[in-house]
Amino acid sequence: MKLKQALLLVLLAFVPAIGQAIYFHDKVSWQTPVAASEMVTVTQARAWGDNATWIDARPDAEFAQDHVPGAILLNEDRWNELLPQFLVVWSPEKKIVVYCSTQGCNASREIAHRLRTEAQLQNVFVLEGGWEEWVKRRDEENAQ
Amino acid sequence: MDSRSNIVWRILALMIGALFIYAGAIKALDPIGFANDIDNFKILPWFVGVRLAFYLPWLEILCGLALVTRRFYFGGLSILTTLTLIFVVVTIVAKARGLDITCGCFGHASKNLSFTWHLVLDFILLAALLVLWRREVLRIRAA
Amino acid sequence: MKTQVLAFTLSILLCASARSELKWEQTQLELHPAVGDKVAVGHFKYKNTGTAPVKIKSVHSSCGCTTAQTQKDQVAPGESGEITATFNIGDRTGTQVKSVTVETDNPAQASTVLVLKAVIPQMLEVQPALVYWQGGEAPKSKTVSVTAGKDFPVKQIKVTPVSTDFQVKVSKVGDGEFKVEVQPRDTAHQMVATFAIQPDDSPKAVYLSARVINSPPPTTTAVKP
Repeated sequence: MKLKQALLLVLLAFVPAIGQAIYFHDKVSWQTPVAASEMVTVTQARAWGDNATWIDARPDAEFAQDHVPGAILLNEDRWNELLPQFLVVWSPEKKIVVYCSTQGCNASREIAHRLRTEAQLQNVFVLEGGWEEWVKRRDEENAQ
Repeated sequence: MDSRSNIVWRILALMIGALFIYAGAIKALDPIGFANDIDNFKILPWFVGVRLAFYLPWLEILCGLALVTRRFYFGGLSILTTLTLIFVVVTIVAKARGLDITCGCFGHASKNLSFTWHLVLDFILLAALLVLWRREVLRIRAA
Repeated sequence: MKTQVLAFTLSILLCASARSELKWEQTQLELHPAVGDKVAVGHFKYKNTGTAPVKIKSVHSSCGCTTAQTQKDQVAPGESGEITATFNIGDRTGTQVKSVTVETDNPAQASTVLVLKAVIPQMLEVQPALVYWQGGEAPKSKTVSVTAGKDFPVKQIKVTPVSTDFQVKVSKVGDGEFKVEVQPRDTAHQMVATFAIQPDDSPKAVYLSARVINSPPPTTTAVKP
């Protein structure tokens, strides 16, 4: 019965499949699909041009010193006061780019998370490399 | 049976077997990518699709090997024919629903191949498989 | 052979005698600041239980919201001291975890991570913080839920100011649970209002934003998710 052959192949394939699944066990989301990444590079964010709204998640003092032109200050120190100020100028067609000082800082992710959960906004992204990376790009361009 | 035409069929089976081993290997190297491609068809829930993504590539490799080595030849041929048939149907349905799918059959490497060309390739493959399958059925009956 | 044993024993004794160690009372602290608090302070106490002095090279925290200070730079054997970590709560919510890294000149304890966990009490939670209508959308009322924190018995909430553009209706749906229904008088032109929601007689407020956005409708793409 040639059906046995097919059955054997079907069963045999489970062996490497399960082995691989074990190897990938904690690298895969088994229950639900993983959401698309929230990160965006400086290049990509700048390419969005006027379609992007920039949010500065750093402390007041750092914002006052220098920030992305047109960026809106929204940090966790004064979230309650600053959020409504941002929400009145927010636009659903624009993508939101949140940044804090460096790649490692957590503030931008926190702010992005709160914008998604508390204000239920879509298209909220976190800038890869943060303010540091943005400045590096700006300085590179000015040097040319 | 003309021994020359035998050779032609053998070479065809060899090529198709090698193709499936290659396609299976590419998908086995990136199961997560494959899981996402399956999910794009929006036919299976993620829960099922992600497990299939780990299983299918190995089935393809084993069946491809069956075609090449001629061990469990008929079993492998039957499975590959069925898989290709299902895949062609599912692809047409997805396109009809207006989904934006990148085939995923040859891994992300084939992303650049246009949809039409993909479908043509799959139809040719299906035809070849069906021919081989029917030939084998006749051979088994005659034996 | 005897000299080797002697050398070996001597080296062990020497190492033991030059041992320095900062013993920490706790490397993880959980704080429960009260609702009006602006900061949460964690005192990480240590004692030098070794026989050699320890130099604290640097102290820095994982974020700008937490400042950490050391009382002393050099800790003599037997001396105690502390690293004071001051976490600025700001408007943060939930359980916040911040870390402070202490670097010393002791190679066995080159860097120690102190963890400060602060459970921040929340008085009122507004969900969502923004309700909006697109130009042309039917001006139906939208509901916002306002929930009081577990440790806060809130009897009533007050929503101000009264707006001519948006009608606001407040109702209580359970213990510490409220519903705020917002409705624009029309969606013909842009409107915006920011409401302050206050619990009982407290001056502390959380805000709700309402808008009518006359933005062009989003372009429909052919891709169906």
